[in-house]
Amino acid sequence: MAESFPVKPKLKPTASKNTLTPESKYWKSFKVPKEIDALSKSSVIPITSLSFSPVAPHDLAATQSTNVFRFPGKTLIPKSKIASFPDTSASASFRCDGQLLAAGDLRGGVHVFEAKPTSLSKLKDLRRLKGHAAAARLVRYPRASDKFHLFSGGDDSVVKYWDIAEEKCLFSLFGHKDYVRCGDASPVSDEMFVSGSYDHKIKLWDVRVSSVGSVMELNHEKPVESVIYLPSGGLIATAGGNFVKIWDVIGGGRLLYSMESHNKTVTSLCMGKVVRGNGDDAEQNRILSVSLDGYMKVFDYSKFKITHSMKFPEPLMSVAFSPDCSTRVIGTAKGTMYIARRKSKVETEKNSLGDQFGFGAVVDEPQRKVLRPSHFRYFHRGQNQKPLEGDYLIKRQKKVKLAVYDKLLNKFRHKEALVAALNGKNPSNVVAVMEELVARKKLLKCVSNLDGVELGLLMGFLQKCSTMPRYAGLLTKLAKKVVEMRADDIRSSVEQRNHIRNLKRDVEEELRVQQSLLEVQGIISPMLRIAGKR
Amino acid sequence: MFTGGKSFVSSPPAFSNDAKRLLVCTGNTVSIFSTSTGLQTGELEGHGAKVTSVIVVPASTPASKVLCYCWTSSLDGNIKYWDFAAPELMKTIDIRFPIHSMVIPSLLSQTTESSGKIHDVFAYVSTEDVKLKADKTISVRGQIQKCNLTKSRLVGGLELAKIERPGSIIISPSGNQIGVYEKCKLLIWEIPAKDLDQHCFKKIRLHHTKSFTAMAFHPTERILAAGDVTGRILVWRGVGRKTFSNGKLINGGLNEDEDDSPGVRSGDDADSCTTWHWHSSQVNVLFFSSDGAYLYSGGREGVLVVWQLDTGKKKFLPRIGSPLLYYINSPDPTLSSISCTDNRIQLLRMPSMEIVRSISGIKLPSSRAEMYDAYGSGVVFNHTAGLIAVPTENYRVQFYSLFDDREVSEVQICERNHHPSDDITVKVNLVALSQDGSTMSTVETRLPEEGIGGLVSLKFWACDSQSKQFSLSTIIYEPHREAAISSIAFRPASHMVVSSSHGGDFKVWVRRQEIHPKDQNTGWTCHAVGSYKKKPLTAPITTLSFVGKSSYLVSASRGADPLLTMWSMSKLCTIWSYRLHAEAIASSMLNSTFAVLAPSKLLKSTGSTAGTSQGAEGAILLFNAENPVPFATWSVSKAQGGRLSFIQSSPFSDNDVADTTTAGELLAYVSGCHEYVVLSPHGDQDSKLSISRRRNSSSLDETERFGYASIYGELPEFTMEIDQTPFESMPQSEKTWKTIFSGPSHSLPPLPKLCSDFLESLLERRSTVVE
Repeated sequence: MAESFPVKPKLKPTASKNTLTPESKYWKSFKVPKEIDALSKSSVIPITSLSFSPVAPHDLAATQSTNVFRFPGKTLIPKSKIASFPDTSASASFRCDGQLLAAGDLRGGVHVFEAKPTSLSKLKDLRRLKGHAAAARLVRYPRASDKFHLFSGGDDSVVKYWDIAEEKCLFSLFGHKDYVRCGDASPVSDEMFVSGSYDHKIKLWDVRVSSVGSVMELNHEKPVESVIYLPSGGLIATAGGNFVKIWDVIGGGRLLYSMESHNKTVTSLCMGKVVRGNGDDAEQNRILSVSLDGYMKVFDYSKFKITHSMKFPEPLMSVAFSPDCSTRVIGTAKGTMYIARRKSKVETEKNSLGDQFGFGAVVDEPQRKVLRPSHFRYFHRGQNQKPLEGDYLIKRQKKVKLAVYDKLLNKFRHKEALVAALNGKNPSNVVAVMEELVARKKLLKCVSNLDGVELGLLMGFLQKCSTMPRYAGLLTKLAKKVVEMRADDIRSSVEQRNHIRNLKRDVEEELRVQQSLLEVQGIISPMLRIAGKR
Repeated sequence: MFTGGKSFVSSPPAFSNDAKRLLVCTGNTVSIFSTSTGLQTGELEGHGAKVTSVIVVPASTPASKVLCYCWTSSLDGNIKYWDFAAPELMKTIDIRFPIHSMVIPSLLSQTTESSGKIHDVFAYVSTEDVKLKADKTISVRGQIQKCNLTKSRLVGGLELAKIERPGSIIISPSGNQIGVYEKCKLLIWEIPAKDLDQHCFKKIRLHHTKSFTAMAFHPTERILAAGDVTGRILVWRGVGRKTFSNGKLINGGLNEDEDDSPGVRSGDDADSCTTWHWHSSQVNVLFFSSDGAYLYSGGREGVLVVWQLDTGKKKFLPRIGSPLLYYINSPDPTLSSISCTDNRIQLLRMPSMEIVRSISGIKLPSSRAEMYDAYGSGVVFNHTAGLIAVPTENYRVQFYSLFDDREVSEVQICERNHHPSDDITVKVNLVALSQDGSTMSTVETRLPEEGIGGLVSLKFWACDSQSKQFSLSTIIYEPHREAAISSIAFRPASHMVVSSSHGGDFKVWVRRQEIHPKDQNTGWTCHAVGSYKKKPLTAPITTLSFVGKSSYLVSASRGADPLLTMWSMSKLCTIWSYRLHAEAIASSMLNSTFAVLAPSKLLKSTGSTAGTSQGAEGAILLFNAENPVPFATWSVSKAQGGRLSFIQSSPFSDNDVADTTTAGELLAYVSGCHEYVVLSPHGDQDSKLSISRRRNSSSLDETERFGYASIYGELPEFTMEIDQTPFESMPQSEKTWKTIFSGPSHSLPPLPKLCSDFLESLLERRSTVVE
């Protein structure tokens, strides 16, 4: 007995990159947590900076308007205001132990305050560093171990190095010729940091040789919006204009790569990590870049390849990725924060606990119980057993899935099959049934047998789909035939006349489109011909 | 030279007594197939014309089941008696009339009583009067005659009936009735148990308004079923009760009332007639089950219907795939066979009606294919492997091995349910195979309904090198807009295909890997489009072929002015030409010879083949390119729609029969009805003889695995040897038998060990020392 074939629509050409790469799967696994509203929108004021605390549980600090907000790292709610400035706040930065937080304001002040304020010290600065003549847009603590200094940069194009305890500017670094808007401290050394400015230059500073000026100068060729050190400390990434550049600092400031896939100004960069399985290369570093065009792109700087990109509906201003790889936060120009978390596996936590206390190896597995016939599971044992190499497999015969119209077609009830397909949602199935009816030479007979309601269904379908390019070959001819055949029925019913009117409108619209397409072709084809001659 | 591709379904097959073999009439021979493997095991050769019936002598006792005797009849007027186990011809009877059908009632009726003497065996044959054949005015040509097989002669002066066309005779399973159908009536004779030379027969007729196409007798009762062209099945009960029961009416009062026989036409001798109507077109198969409870019917729809005789309830075996022709049951109640028009015999496992195996020959060309012959190709050859690819009616392509005379595989081209009774709307038009056979490309066409919904799709198939199964690689819908494809061709030794259309353009398709070697996708893509002055690419020239490795081109054109022309490519001029209609051209790959298939009706006008024998419809002419005189000719039959090709005889090279000098190429000819001949083009007589078909005469012992073994494989050999090691006797304990049984039951010693101790304990132990 030959197998039975259900009626299938024609195959569509498939895009070759339909499947998700493991990398995109990873980035898609960041989901908005349930307990946070989909968009934690509070105002229309842009979120200027985002920063994660370097120590667990990795609290998040965000600067928005005149305030600095803190989000507890475990749950990210509720947010609490921890500082309020006289002017718009910018560039929050945690100290390396996560106890203190520093931020600048647009009047030029740099504020240092407690990251977890108690009720007593609420909203009070511990230190206020004054010295910038214009807005302080860059405030950074050194990242390695130095707890007593920080550096700041301002719109007065000066970079200052501060002793926090004494509220004293140790020295000012001159060299930039425009606003200093960004910078980063080296992850390996407390003395090295980098600053970027709107004069297209990135300057590398060493506080040990502060008198010499900058150690190195790089030219980004666009106003620099963001600079970060890559984890090795030997590479830096700079963003400005529509592109991101990777520089080799140790190798004398050599440009390694320029990533130019954003369409608008790249506003912020941060380091991300891809965690996959266990093994040597379980963790891989990525650069996350966000831009005003609403895209977040993930860049693999070891292969110089974009591995993932994500579209957001608003211009993006800032991005942060938590050091434990569980949270990704993006702040937009309209005040929305897109927070997404990834479920970290429970086992890994357990393991880390075990390791901490040092008896990870001692924990032994519970002994497997031997099943006895007294237990119900005894009678179900072995059902999930996988076949061995040499086992003789008996496959259950694959059942052919038949839709309603397939069954009706098998019974030669053609009109009912057509109506059943029309009642379905998928137009490609309807067209497949129509093609099968053509192959049986029964389509026109079916059309002539349709009653009022069913004819209305068909007319509705024709109106909707007959101008779709994929079905137009069959459906435009069919529509013409249907109108010819059922002219009397259509005239007699108001509903059908409505369908016809709609159909007419669609056909006219389609003709207009065709006309304009022809015009475009007329414009292009001489150009193509000229181009071909060269 | 050998032939093959015979039709398996020209006449009903027959099972041997042990149901392990199936005897199938294949042209002039009877082929014996094993039912367990589906392979051919033997052949009975001897008839000079088509064999029309084969009857296996049934076993009267269980012991005689091993006997393998059969009668065959043929159109050459001979009836032969065979021992098909050997196989060996035992007897020949010449009756000088072409026999269209034969039945032997006495084989079925159990007359061989142990005491009685052996009666003469009579056969009833349906013959054609050849003397009247010339006279076209007389339309009644068929006769039903009686033949004494024991005395090897026709029974003179006895002619049961004259019928218009010699048809088949149907016999009842008990052997006491035979019948024929002719147009709207059935003729039934009763055969007495003790048949003599001169016996007067009683005959009844049953009438109907439509032409009959099938009939069957009930095994035990007086029930007769007949099917007509409209698909109705008529079942008469109590047929011939009046006529055949010698006037002694069992229930006289009932039968004399004329009105009490519902449905029976006046004058017919039957009690009642009921009509069943399920089939939508003519009924070809009618068969009662051996217990008489069920009636099997089948027809054009390709559905086997099982009717419960008492209630009329139906059960179906659908989607057999092509119209049914015969249904035969076997002595084994679990096995029966259906013959289908697509040259396939399906073996059914019976109560469940599953198809367990099928024996298939080359698919026959579609009867209605001529309508669409304008764009359609027939058989395609695979030059190297000796395969042919045949597009079939149910949207498949069948691969058939010429050397093995056996189906190799089938590929479903279009995934659509095939309804055999529909007129053709979807058709596989063109098939092309690449030279190495690894790629196939097919074109299928769906004909539009009043201008709506026509579709041409071009498909590329890739052959898996391990399983040799073709799998779909690429589909291209409407490759040339709406225009139909006129032909496709592979470029030798590269993955490139050219398709030309009636719309005036041609396209070059390449495999994507050729362009982008790193691309994982193995699909095909269009590489270039071209056209010649926007003219449709359907010239009157139908065939173009380069002649081997020489610089010659041969072209053939059809139409009103057919021409076969030889061109020299180096001089760009005609060398010679014939006014010859060429059906097919094949050119050798090795040397500058080529073969032309020319149908003879057009040949006669040129008068070039005077020597064609009678009955041949065409000739194969073998030319050398330089020489206009053919150096060899063969006359063949059914040249219309035939195909020619040179094939490599490399499959022989491993056999010792390979003729080293000329064995390079063989010429294969497939006729219009898909029978084929393979011959050596340069053949002297010796080399012709040396080519013989590889016979895979598999032995019958290859039994089918069934039951446990078919699921789990063979069990390891299990020996019934009993463990002979004796039980070691219990260590002589001082325990008395009472203490032996104390303790928990599971720690008791086994009974055989206990037994001796127990018995011992019962007996009084005599002290060893007798004083």
